Amino acid sequence: MNLGLRAMSWVTPLGNGLEEVMDRLAAGEVAQAAPCPDAPGDGPRYYIPVASDARGPLSRIPRVRRSGAISYHALTAGLAALEAGGVEPLSPLAPAVAQRTAIVFAICSGGVQYTRRLYEKIVQGGPPAASPLLFPETVYNAPASHLAATLGVEGESYTLVGDSTVGLAALEFAGELLACQPGLEQCLVVGCEECDWILWEGYQSWRLCSREPSVSLEPPRGMLLSEGAAALLVGRTGTGRVDLSISTGTHGQRRDAGMRLRECLNRLAPTSCDLLVGSANGTWIGPIEHAALAPCFPEARWLTPKAALGESLAASSLIQTIFAAQAVIGGSAKAAAVSAIGLNQQVGAAFVHPLSSPVS
Amino acid sequence: MPSSFPPLQRVAVTSLGLVTPLGIGRAENLDALRCARPGISPVRQFETEGCRCRVAGQVKESRLPVDEGRTLQGLRGLHRSGRMMLAAARELLSSDPAFVPEASVIGTTSGGMSFGEAFFRDFPKSRRGAPRRLSHYAPQKAVVDLHEVFGASGIPCQIIANACASGANAIGHAFQLIANGVRRRVLAGGYDALSELVYVGFDSLQASTPDRCRPFDKNRSGLVMGEGAALIALEAWDDALARRAPILGEVIGYGISTDNHHLTQPHPSGIGPRLAMERALQSARLAPAAIDYINAHGTATPFNDATEGVAIEAIFGPGAVPVSSTKGQTGHTLGAAGAIEAVFCLLALEGEFLPPNVNYVEADPQWHLDIVANTARPAQPRTVLTNSFGFGGTNASLILRRDGEGVYS
Repeated sequence: MNLGLRAMSWVTPLGNGLEEVMDRLAAGEVAQAAPCPDAPGDGPRYYIPVASDARGPLSRIPRVRRSGAISYHALTAGLAALEAGGVEPLSPLAPAVAQRTAIVFAICSGGVQYTRRLYEKIVQGGPPAASPLLFPETVYNAPASHLAATLGVEGESYTLVGDSTVGLAALEFAGELLACQPGLEQCLVVGCEECDWILWEGYQSWRLCSREPSVSLEPPRGMLLSEGAAALLVGRTGTGRVDLSISTGTHGQRRDAGMRLRECLNRLAPTSCDLLVGSANGTWIGPIEHAALAPCFPEARWLTPKAALGESLAASSLIQTIFAAQAVIGGSAKAAAVSAIGLNQQVGAAFVHPLSSPVS
Repeated sequence: MPSSFPPLQRVAVTSLGLVTPLGIGRAENLDALRCARPGISPVRQFETEGCRCRVAGQVKESRLPVDEGRTLQGLRGLHRSGRMMLAAARELLSSDPAFVPEASVIGTTSGGMSFGEAFFRDFPKSRRGAPRRLSHYAPQKAVVDLHEVFGASGIPCQIIANACASGANAIGHAFQLIANGVRRRVLAGGYDALSELVYVGFDSLQASTPDRCRPFDKNRSGLVMGEGAALIALEAWDDALARRAPILGEVIGYGISTDNHHLTQPHPSGIGPRLAMERALQSARLAPAAIDYINAHGTATPFNDATEGVAIEAIFGPGAVPVSSTKGQTGHTLGAAGAIEAVFCLLALEGEFLPPNVNYVEADPQWHLDIVANTARPAQPRTVLTNSFGFGGTNASLILRRDGEGVYS
């Protein structure tokens, strides 16, 4: 599935500006981990929060006043991507533009903070303690709904759920919408994540989380969950300087993950790729990814943004894609491949290339 | 608003699988629909003391498949929703064993939520079994495991979570993929299992009823939750004919809209449902008069039915088309609802009847609808429309057709 990249934005633990974050990463900065707030029991559970107060001017939007952090991250990234694409900030789209714009969200854990709080109340106080204010925000498509309402999009709005590859699945889905709907001109693809101690405990039940406030890729000693969001505005053709090709798949068993990833990349047939943006996060993913792709990209540089930004799950593969696009736009790479192995049976790949580069 | 590209390819339904509170498989569901037999019973899976509503449409545990053993190793420890999906997949493959999908597009709202609930309740006392349970908490797990059953390991899996429109969105997107030549064969459907958090959540909104679920009745007071799964095999028409596959019907239209009025309440004007239905008609290139039956979303909440009723009357005219909601029998199966009700429409087309709208006592004067009240109605529908609406203002409508006489098995 081929797409034109029009604009992009992100909310990361190292800031929200595209070039700012790229510069800080290039300088070797690593985002600071912090203990999960409100966690019960012993021992710190580290995660990487976003750098600044995500709410900011979004508090002016009545619809999102009671929303969780995930919706704020999503709206911040989504609206900034549109602004980068020429839309006035914090304003509904012009009706003619809204009619031709679709929203596709990538979600992994969703509103996990409100979900845990709601269920905690139910367990402690029984059904009468359940808050009608919390429940609607636990629904996976709540962030997408808030963004659609803010923009005035009354047509196509989809929320996809999956693992840390779901951002690529959302890009592929956006490409499918554009292929099927002649009236659509562009899709805003957003991936977003918030953290909670229960999420940490869930992943730690698989021994996947780092006990230290840092990430070690070699040897892998566990991941640091992180918060954030990423948004890409895509169309059939781009108005920026790069295009994307996307392919996704699944793996029934962990041992098949590398093979399935190679299949995804082979479908994209990347040519003259000199940068690979990997999904190694301090878990089993790194070694499998390296074993699968090293023979295919012997000359390419490997970059692993999750070592510095943490594992932001639904946002992560979109952050990788933006990272690759920025590298190509900035001239530090001729073309870049994005590889994503998820922790829950999904895989995906993207090829980011200058406009008019031949792809299959 | 966008309509589809001119369809390049007709989209056949070659097989289906169905698990609902009314039974496992098409025969049991067909019989229950014809007899207006309800599938609602007291909730057994968790405590409902203090809830407005204490019943639900539940799939009988004893009817679901058990662990599969070595050949389907990944299926051990399946969540209830995964076992429903497995049962649906088995039925689908039993009537079309040659169907091998290129991709799956499945809707759900909560995946394996009850495993997450159990993890929270047990924390930090016991971690035994937590890793396996949590792997089945992920909504894609129930689908990716099925790929092996279909001999299609590795294919892409898209899980749509558009609240209670998810199942219809999944079928609609799969339809568009095939109609426009992006894919040739797609496994589509939806699933959801009852969970305490969602059950109590709807109750906290006072969306659930202490009474019976009475869609479109003047005295309706809310929904009853349900659970289930439905899968359909969608294939490019020419391919299905070429391999002499059974053809159960055809998906011919899909419309989607987003109502931005409120996160959980539809705009009173009915603009959301109206746009979805109009876009589905536009997609199918049909006038409203071509629709022979509407399977309504019909949750029986005051707001939903009011807006849907207004929208149906506005498009189709007063009493012009028979309407029923089957949620009085099944409960509201959330992410599965759109898929289950699309399959009910296929059963109605094949079985030549209109499913009943049970528990209907008194007409609501807000609209003039031809409600298929309380008993199934003999009919020969050829083209039917089914609605699904959800939180977040998501609205989806599908149009299905019985056509191509002589090609049905």
